[in-house]
Amino acid sequence: MTRRRLPEWFVLLLPAIIVIAAVVLIPLLFSLYSSFTPYKLTRPSTLWKWVGTYNYEKILSDAKFWAAFGRTVLFLTIVLNLELLFGLGIALMMNKVTWGQRTLRTILMFPMMFSPILVGFQFKFIFNDNIGLVNNVLQSMGFNVALPWLVDAKLAMFSIMFAEIWMSTSVFAILILAGLFAMPRDPLEAAKVDGCTPWQSFRHITLPFLMPFIYIAMTIRSLDVARAYDIVQIMTGGGPARRTELLWTLMSRTGYVDARMGLANAMGYVSILLSILFTIYFFRKLSAARAELGMAG
Amino acid sequence: MDRNQSHRNRRRVLKTLHFTALFLTMMIICIPGLWIVLNSFRPTVEIMAKPPVWVPSFTLDHYRAMFAGAGEGGVPVFSYFRNSLIVSVTSTLIAILIGMSGGYAFARYRFKGKNGYFVGLMLFRAVPGVALSLPLFIVFAKVGIIDTHFGLILAYVAMNVPFTIWLTDGFFRQIPKELHEAAEIDGCTRWQAFWQVEFPVARSGVASAAIFAFLTSWNEFALASQLTRSVGSKTMPVGLLDFTAEFTINWGGMCALAVLMIVPALILTFIVQKHLIAGLTFGGVKG
Amino acid sequence: MTEVTLSKVVKKYGALQAVHGIDLDIKDGEFVVLVGPSGCGKSTTLRMIAGLEDISGGEVAIGGRVVNDLPPRERNISMVFQNYALYPHMTVRENLGFSLKIAKRPEQEIVKAVDEAAGILGLDELMDRKPAALSGGQRQRVAMGRAIVRHPDVFLFDEPLSNLDAKLRTQMRVEIKKLHQKVESTIIYVTHDQVEAMTLADRIVLMRDGHIVQVGTPLELFNKPVDTFVATFIGSPPMNLVDGVVQGDSIVLNGSVSVPLPVSAGKLTNGQAVKFGFRADNLMPIGHAVEEEGAAHEVDLSVTLTEPLGTETLLYTNMAGVEVQAKMFNPRPVAPGEQLHFRLTLDKCHVFDAKSGQAVRG
Repeated sequence: MTRRRLPEWFVLLLPAIIVIAAVVLIPLLFSLYSSFTPYKLTRPSTLWKWVGTYNYEKILSDAKFWAAFGRTVLFLTIVLNLELLFGLGIALMMNKVTWGQRTLRTILMFPMMFSPILVGFQFKFIFNDNIGLVNNVLQSMGFNVALPWLVDAKLAMFSIMFAEIWMSTSVFAILILAGLFAMPRDPLEAAKVDGCTPWQSFRHITLPFLMPFIYIAMTIRSLDVARAYDIVQIMTGGGPARRTELLWTLMSRTGYVDARMGLANAMGYVSILLSILFTIYFFRKLSAARAELGMAG
Repeated sequence: MDRNQSHRNRRRVLKTLHFTALFLTMMIICIPGLWIVLNSFRPTVEIMAKPPVWVPSFTLDHYRAMFAGAGEGGVPVFSYFRNSLIVSVTSTLIAILIGMSGGYAFARYRFKGKNGYFVGLMLFRAVPGVALSLPLFIVFAKVGIIDTHFGLILAYVAMNVPFTIWLTDGFFRQIPKELHEAAEIDGCTRWQAFWQVEFPVARSGVASAAIFAFLTSWNEFALASQLTRSVGSKTMPVGLLDFTAEFTINWGGMCALAVLMIVPALILTFIVQKHLIAGLTFGGVKG
Repeated sequence: MTEVTLSKVVKKYGALQAVHGIDLDIKDGEFVVLVGPSGCGKSTTLRMIAGLEDISGGEVAIGGRVVNDLPPRERNISMVFQNYALYPHMTVRENLGFSLKIAKRPEQEIVKAVDEAAGILGLDELMDRKPAALSGGQRQRVAMGRAIVRHPDVFLFDEPLSNLDAKLRTQMRVEIKKLHQKVESTIIYVTHDQVEAMTLADRIVLMRDGHIVQVGTPLELFNKPVDTFVATFIGSPPMNLVDGVVQGDSIVLNGSVSVPLPVSAGKLTNGQAVKFGFRADNLMPIGHAVEEEGAAHEVDLSVTLTEPLGTETLLYTNMAGVEVQAKMFNPRPVAPGEQLHFRLTLDKCHVFDAKSGQAVRG
């Protein structure tokens, strides 16, 4: 009767663990190893040459890498904050709508369904300096300009951020809206009777209740921050002259165009750490917020 | 009376502001997509016209060219569509089965280090596609599954499993555990209890998890662009780039393909949008 | 023959022990109620009998067969859950027939059994509805129907009435009792409500902290509680308990009031610290009492608060500095502060050892 078996939960998790180990973990270990070699796709024998932390030293002393890294962090900070703000704003507006709420919510979901590559293409088209919608509108309104949206460094960053925010704000808006729907009315009504101004009741009652929902959105987003690669890749390819180079485009150029896999993998590890830090940060925030509201199951 | 009047005025102003802001937001959300659709029906001359032509004419040229297939340097859209469909559907089915089993384990069993396992699995989802594509490219090339449906399916399954676990965990948690206990007392094995009772009850949730997985696969670019090379395995997001040559871009053709890509996604989302939101929030909040 | 036997049954959750080796014999066709405050291990015990919890030690036997390692489906039991656990995606008919369908019984037999159960419980009108479209009482009935369809050896009820409102609860209590008379199966019923236990049980098993405190018929538990816990748990209002010290033939309550020792009291030593217990039904104002035989003790007490209940009024008074409750039949209005002459029926009084709480009985 006392046959020793694997616990059931482990058996159930096993397929997931196996697939992830095979497709993610092992390649990652391989890339960790290759980041310590001068591996070049064109010369396979280089895989067996150990160069220690040479690649890491190289990228850490490379101004281009640091520029891309800084730009990536700046990009993420601006984009995530704006998405949260716009998302919150849209959700609050939608919550006040009395008719057609379902239709509006469906429209709100559109951008979520777009492939990032499609979003990139769409805005590449719209921001095109020659035939793009934006310049066409400006010109038809009498401004005799052809703004170089995707060429000028600042304008290009703006265009990319616009695309990214267009794509991802919905996630925040929809989750925060779900939070607003789930919110009990009594505390708000009590606050109204107690004499709170709308701003006060938002600040002290609505917002704390929404925090877990905001963190869910943040967590889901942070799992996917690197999607921006697709957008940048198609809109500017990191160019012109590296003015919109992010960590991810730099990495893919180093790996595939220059075929310097070892070096690219070292960059890859930096980007992985960045993503993981984001994710862990928001996961912890999420657990804390849940514990505070007593929602932990 | 004065105070009353001023409050009433203020409310009217706020209402107008609210309406305007909402209207602008919806415009910003809708116009880019509509612009693509519109331009997929416009002749290239008109798209490129300077000064711009604002009254659109209608043509099906781009679609005709697209479906005409690979001839005359065209883009083999049919193959891409088929590849996308095969890869997305297969990887979704497998990811759902694996993810459901994992989600069930998290929802129904207690074990040591459960939170650790959970966050650990999620972290694998956080690995950027580009960063993963580098080593995956080398490994797949070594194993010989690069540029095949199988390789891409495998990669997408691994990519989708963590999030599927997150969602299904949430859905199974919503089902009281007494339900499977009752089924077991009614004579089911645990396996039967799952398929006869818990799965049908969680069905809509599982369906929305499946749609998420499908969309992720359908829309993925970073991995596909490196793991596929030929017409036999390229998916639509990768195929989109076929329309760009060194200095010229076939805007109309790209728009047509974009429409072809987005339509299935929109239809699917439309069907399950309600469950989609419920699943996301529940999985997260009560996790 | 489907008697259920527990011997030295233990349940441990890691280091925590929830059930401490309990022994219990349940006869064929008996209606046994496990009752106790929450966390006393009654539900855990039931779930071990059902096979929903692993048994950490000891043996559970159903119909003479040890079932420790059998899954629920091989125990031929059925269970009604606190939240009913109806299958939300099935109609009432499908819910009722589910167990037979799983057992691959022929279609005709299923239809017959389902119709029969529906008839017994009056579900005929509801057969094609889904559980979401049913009221609480109807759901409760479907849950019971699902249990009887299979003609199991043992019925298990896990607090089945606690989600119903008070009126419906009384009504369903009667239906459960009728059901038992009809099916004549063994029933094990868990509740925290002593009224349910008293009204339903052939035998009550009172539990606390994973131990069985007392087993007996409702009247045994009511009339002869083994300790102060049973005395205060069973009966409403709970038994009055006043500290006292034995002095010769009487007990001095809180050093002030002296009451003669009840005849039923067993061996007590002079100076022993005790708790003196009596129910409100045994302390009544003279002239408003149910006629009582036997020894009595008369006291004057002043009333602090009244709760009129119609046929009787509950009086709150003060005896030796402790608030005690008394009952008044054929009530008349009583003003707070009014002094009444009470009769305490000594035969029905109880003496418990103050330290152990155990009853001292002859």
